[in-house]
Amino acid sequence: MSIPTEIREKPSYLSTGILIIGALYCLFPVIWVVAAATKGSDELFSTFTFTPSVHLWSNIVELTAYRDGVFWRWMLNTALYAGVGALLSTWVSALSGYVLAKYDFPGKNGVFKVLLMGVLVPGVILAIPQYLMLAQLGLTNTYWSVLLPQIISPYGIYLARIYAAASVPGDVIEAARTEGAKEMYIFNRIALPMMLPGLVTIFLFQFVAIWNNFMLPYIMLGDDTLFPLTVGLNGLLNQGATAPALYTLVLAGALLSIIPLVIMFLFLQRYWRVDLAAGAVKA
Amino acid sequence: MRRSFRAGAVAMIAAAALLTAGCSTGSGTGSAEQNTDPNQKVELTYWAWAPNLDKVVDLWNEKNPNIHVTVNKQDGGDPAITKLLTAVNAGSGAPDLIQAEYQKIPTLVAADALVDLADTEAKETKDNFPEGVWNSVTLGGEALYAVPQDTGPMAFYYRADIFEGLGLAVPTTWDEYAAAAKTIHDADPEAYLGTFSSNDAGWFTGMAQQAGASWWGIDGDAWSVKIAEEPTEKVAGYWGGLVEQGTIDNKPMYTPEWNAALNSGKQVGWLSAAWAPGVLAGNAGATAGKWKVAPMPQWDAAKPATGNWGGSSTAVTTQSKNVAAAAKFATWLNTSPEAVDALVKVSNIYPADTEGAKTALTAAPEFFSNQPDFYDVIGKAAQNVGSFNYGPNVNVAFNAYNDQFAKAAQAKSRSAFLEAVDSMQQVTVEDLKKTGFTVK
Amino acid sequence: MAATATMPGSAEKTAAPGRPRQAKNFKQRVLTPYAMLAPGIVLFLLFMAAPIIYTLVLSFQQKKVSGLGLGKGAQSTVFAGFDNYVRSLTDPEFGASVLRVLTYGAILIPLMLGFALLFALLLDSRRTRAGSFSRTAIFLPYAVPAVISSLLWGFLYLPGVSPFHFVADKLGIALPSLLNPDLIIFAIANIALWGGVGFNMIVMYTSLKAVPQEIYEAAKLDGASEIQTALRIKIPIIAPSVVMTALFSMIATLQVFAEPTTLRPLANSLSTSWSPLMLVYRDAFTRNDVYSAAATSIVIALATFAISFLFLRVVQKRAFGQEN
Repeated sequence: MSIPTEIREKPSYLSTGILIIGALYCLFPVIWVVAAATKGSDELFSTFTFTPSVHLWSNIVELTAYRDGVFWRWMLNTALYAGVGALLSTWVSALSGYVLAKYDFPGKNGVFKVLLMGVLVPGVILAIPQYLMLAQLGLTNTYWSVLLPQIISPYGIYLARIYAAASVPGDVIEAARTEGAKEMYIFNRIALPMMLPGLVTIFLFQFVAIWNNFMLPYIMLGDDTLFPLTVGLNGLLNQGATAPALYTLVLAGALLSIIPLVIMFLFLQRYWRVDLAAGAVKA
Repeated sequence: MRRSFRAGAVAMIAAAALLTAGCSTGSGTGSAEQNTDPNQKVELTYWAWAPNLDKVVDLWNEKNPNIHVTVNKQDGGDPAITKLLTAVNAGSGAPDLIQAEYQKIPTLVAADALVDLADTEAKETKDNFPEGVWNSVTLGGEALYAVPQDTGPMAFYYRADIFEGLGLAVPTTWDEYAAAAKTIHDADPEAYLGTFSSNDAGWFTGMAQQAGASWWGIDGDAWSVKIAEEPTEKVAGYWGGLVEQGTIDNKPMYTPEWNAALNSGKQVGWLSAAWAPGVLAGNAGATAGKWKVAPMPQWDAAKPATGNWGGSSTAVTTQSKNVAAAAKFATWLNTSPEAVDALVKVSNIYPADTEGAKTALTAAPEFFSNQPDFYDVIGKAAQNVGSFNYGPNVNVAFNAYNDQFAKAAQAKSRSAFLEAVDSMQQVTVEDLKKTGFTVK
Repeated sequence: MAATATMPGSAEKTAAPGRPRQAKNFKQRVLTPYAMLAPGIVLFLLFMAAPIIYTLVLSFQQKKVSGLGLGKGAQSTVFAGFDNYVRSLTDPEFGASVLRVLTYGAILIPLMLGFALLFALLLDSRRTRAGSFSRTAIFLPYAVPAVISSLLWGFLYLPGVSPFHFVADKLGIALPSLLNPDLIIFAIANIALWGGVGFNMIVMYTSLKAVPQEIYEAAKLDGASEIQTALRIKIPIIAPSVVMTALFSMIATLQVFAEPTTLRPLANSLSTSWSPLMLVYRDAFTRNDVYSAAATSIVIALATFAISFLFLRVVQKRAFGQEN
């Protein structure tokens, strides 16, 4: 019904122009890194930085050769930390948010507020005591040490509570109960699919949060075959005074590491529109 | 130089007496329970950041199937030590072996992170190393906290082509260096003979060492901190003056901008150390053949001296369950001819082992193929490195250097440089007192 | 008390237990939800609450050595009372770092939310073209880790390698370096703006999309221009979203760390205590004094909590009021 009106609407050059300027500002460093990643180490510091060159492939080959392809290990590790971590985190957040939205029980608001306070605590501060505690269990320098602490996400629970309140009707739950369904069954089979569009958002939030978290893996891990990309690339830059910083490799690595995220964002982006919108309308 | 060296040695012996007195009852406590079965297959982890060290270790693993060493590559210098100290605090998570820079050793010893190797075969390596280097791994006492690996005797690197073009002679004194800096900057306002880097405390320490400084000392049962004294003030004032005049750049080293300036010839010289060829080749490979090395400019041409920048050792941590095996490996890595040769060829380090350095360092590095006597210059410099004592809070002093000299370099005034030295002294002393160290 | 007693749901609590119906009711009302919350609560306790308590314990301790502090047993950990807190609160470096992040927030937050709102409104306008391209492009930087984005911007800032300076030089214009002490705060804010504007835009845009189209049609029939519609209808409707993005931006601002840490080695204008979290990091890792760092951490967390709490109180009803 509103689609024909949209077509009739006259395009505004001003608003389109402003938006495109914003888009270009955001793309600028990305375009730069594409150009820079094609340069050899001599060219990187001696030619105009936007002039592309032909060394992209040799940079990638060199990066692959570095410590027998440890870069690709970092890619896989990142996929594991962020992918599996975000999946687990989304499920825990969804369950907690669903309970907080749909059940009425004593202490509910207290629990929610305490969980929400977790948003306020910076990861940098948590990393040290987390290390000291995991060391007691002998878990430092393992995949667990990076995976486990990042499953809990106060922000995810906060969002899941909103989505559950908006998208899971109370009478559906009641109906299922009357038919004798177990509570976890109701959550996994009925509520979870209803919340799914919103959960994609939580998954993306948490994926980016884990992917962005530098401090935790930096402190927890000593073995570079366990590193995620951010820590690994940072290491290529900080070689100490006696070795050159591997800028060309870092830039090629930065470019390669952004690509899968861009693809994932493009693929999942349509969910960003559906989720909150659909939820809020029903609320 | 000799005088201050002797003073350092006296302080060290005093410290040694104290240390042995203090330690005699406590040996063994704090170390992990040891595996004693000699035929058991042993797995060792080694945190290190020297490039390609894993290739050198492969040589060991081929020959020693019972002691297998795995290198965990670390970020350079500070981060590995930070992680080790955290692991020691936590009581687990430390590797068996760690690459430790010399200035980190007192801090690590104070934190009880390193095993005393005096009862292992590593003790036999004493004669392989120069006395000053050996002192920094023994802290002058009977204990042995690490086996020296490499050193960084400082030297002056310069663009021979640009010097020639300007008709400049290689500066042999700091006065000549200042004059050359002015000539170069006058000829091209964007060009500098060097830069004062507030990021590289080790670099400044090396230059203070050349001037005769030794920042920490042990006086009876008290530490003394001697940063704000004549030698360091002289060095800071000299560089502050050059930065104030604008003939020396004030930007940090190792930035992309610095790399660009090395490539474009806007940085005409670099006061660096024996390991510089690797850095230059990596950052400005296209300028190969245009650089030369010369001894550091001198304060007193009659008494040639130089400092040390960088260099590290192999230490065994208190969490290692296989100290004997680890010590055996550390000894092999740093004194056996095949390992030292490999360290030089694949890891680009300047070995601390005196004999090894002589035999392994014959041909000049590829980047300096225009200067066949490259290692003669470095070898002579290595003999002029004075002694320098580090204390238990080098990290605090170095951090103060970063912050205070960043401000001074930004202010571009000689007086700010001198104030920065005072601040370093103050911060370092206050930190020692706060923690409860006795400070004289 | 009287008010809570009349609240629905509290009747069960006061009912006498014992009868089977009530037992089942208790199970259903209390045990089931808590059992289902258990994964979340346990993980929260293990990885957030326990570390915070541990930090609290550390903050009341300090390292003490005797004499030269070398050799075994020369160092010990002792109770410090409020020493660490006193030192932290009276440390001029800490005060300076707090002032710096407040200034930084005052620059960043209005710019970031202003642009996010502008872009969201433009995206929502039917007269804007290239919407999906722009939306993707503006959102893209959110996917770039701060460590990497700071490195990229660092290259773009450094006069010796910056394309801006290259072009300006060719045109004969002298550009000031953004890494100078008086401009560095903008340089850091720009990196955060770049990384954050898209995220906030998406949050606002999704709430705009939730507004029923009929409202706009009605406004249009009343003869309201698009700008009037935006100001009088759209912005008030999405105000709760804007408030929440403001809250999260404030928290993120107080925690700024990765950007200045990555830029620091490039110039002389950033100290290792530039932001409060950098100070914590420096104390804990560079100076190996986890005890002072713990005390400063607690102070920062309490301050963040106080600010957020005040903020939340103002908006709580609007943000959480529509459930159930």
